[in-house]
Amino acid sequence: MFSFDPYSPAVDADPFPFYKTLRDEHPCFWSPEAEMWVLSRYTDIVTALNDWQTYSSASGNLMTELPNRAGSTLGTSDPPRHDRLRALVQHAFLRRNLEALAEPMRAIAREAVAEIKDAKEFDFIGDFSSKFTVRVLFAALGLPLGDEQTVRDKAVLMVQSDPKTRAKGPEHIDAYNWMREYAAGVIAERRKNPQNDLISHFSMAEIDGDKLDEMEVLLTTTTLIMAGIESLGGFMSMFALNMADFPEARRQLAANPELIADAVEESLRFNTSAQRFRRRLQKDVTLHGQTMKAGDFVCLAYGSGNRDERQFANPDVYDITRKPKGHLGFGGGVHACLGSAIARIAIKIAFEEFFKAIPEFRRVEADLPWMPSSTFRSPLRLVLARP
Amino acid sequence: MSKVTFIEPAGNAVDVDVADGWSLMQAATSNGVDGMEAECSGSCACATCHCYVESHEELLPAPAENELAMLDNVAAERRSNSRLACQIKMSDALDGIVVRLPATQV
Repeated sequence: MFSFDPYSPAVDADPFPFYKTLRDEHPCFWSPEAEMWVLSRYTDIVTALNDWQTYSSASGNLMTELPNRAGSTLGTSDPPRHDRLRALVQHAFLRRNLEALAEPMRAIAREAVAEIKDAKEFDFIGDFSSKFTVRVLFAALGLPLGDEQTVRDKAVLMVQSDPKTRAKGPEHIDAYNWMREYAAGVIAERRKNPQNDLISHFSMAEIDGDKLDEMEVLLTTTTLIMAGIESLGGFMSMFALNMADFPEARRQLAANPELIADAVEESLRFNTSAQRFRRRLQKDVTLHGQTMKAGDFVCLAYGSGNRDERQFANPDVYDITRKPKGHLGFGGGVHACLGSAIARIAIKIAFEEFFKAIPEFRRVEADLPWMPSSTFRSPLRLVLARP
Repeated sequence: MSKVTFIEPAGNAVDVDVADGWSLMQAATSNGVDGMEAECSGSCACATCHCYVESHEELLPAPAENELAMLDNVAAERRSNSRLACQIKMSDALDGIVVRLPATQV
């Protein structure tokens, strides 16, 4: 009998065969292991993303939610509260307001590349992408330097889940609590000495006389740090993996960096690191002959919608000329990724610099150590070797 | 399902059937219509799903504050019938709507 357990290491390693069975045979599937419904077809996911009144985020959006987080972050609140929170931070993430970061990002990328450019073999994640992402985030948010490595380690840990208990383990909760403390320290510092940066603005902002409450300031800042490091880093490692596994595409990109942007879009479709998020039903919904009840949780499997042959021709082929508009790599609807513009800019710059120094490489381990996570999918280590 | 006619920047008219509740932006991107970027995936944060509404305009809800703010940032000429396609949800009432896409979104 078919089962889909988002906590199983087999799903961490390769969810795509499971997704195909879900789409073809069980498009509205109850997973007893996850204790939620799973929607896997592109159109069903888009329809759910559009209908926030029915598919609510207010009970949490991570497949395995962190304690006391739901309701106090962008991703875990519904309009109109969500729209007010988002209006406060959105300005800083518009493409035109990010241009000033391009040169600092390039300098960070060059510095990180210089540290590996003579190595015969290196861990793309430990030796490159984690250094790049944490330094970019610190520059973007104006965070004080000194704690980068710890911040990065905690961000990566807090998104994981325990495959045995199917819950957050004590180490994941500890990492989350550490990050909250860290964010609280930064917020307190910025209130004392406000600067022209996102956290200063955000922690003191009022909309229509309505201030953000302390929990919203704290948990939204915590989430921004987590997403900025873990999500950007996770996707960068997936992109690097694709570049190792599809050498023809890599050679085209190294020869013509203009193509990087299209390859990023195809990677967001092909194997985005943000594989699954969840919603909670506010009313009964009948779909594909199944009735999902008000109060039930529903997994939106973006990674499956991105491989749905009903939407994308030859979905299992990695094709950098595809231009897959409408992909779900950044989600969609009101909760679509706030950081999509900064992510696109950062990845393009990072790989322009990376390919200049390291155009040829291959992956060393056939079986990768995949992160245990019900929400995200990326390797914990990606060893690359140069010819 | 209701019908939208997109007029692509090159002038081709493309008819698309759209499910109720889907946005004009999703109708265009999921059907490969030319002239739509939608960089922010529908969160009203990028102004790259700019369109000119050429029919049914009187039936559309007025743009909300965030859409008006974003319309200040469109790349092509902003006209009185400029809207962001991600903010217009399809319904039976809009069946047959005609939407022109500008020459540039970025």
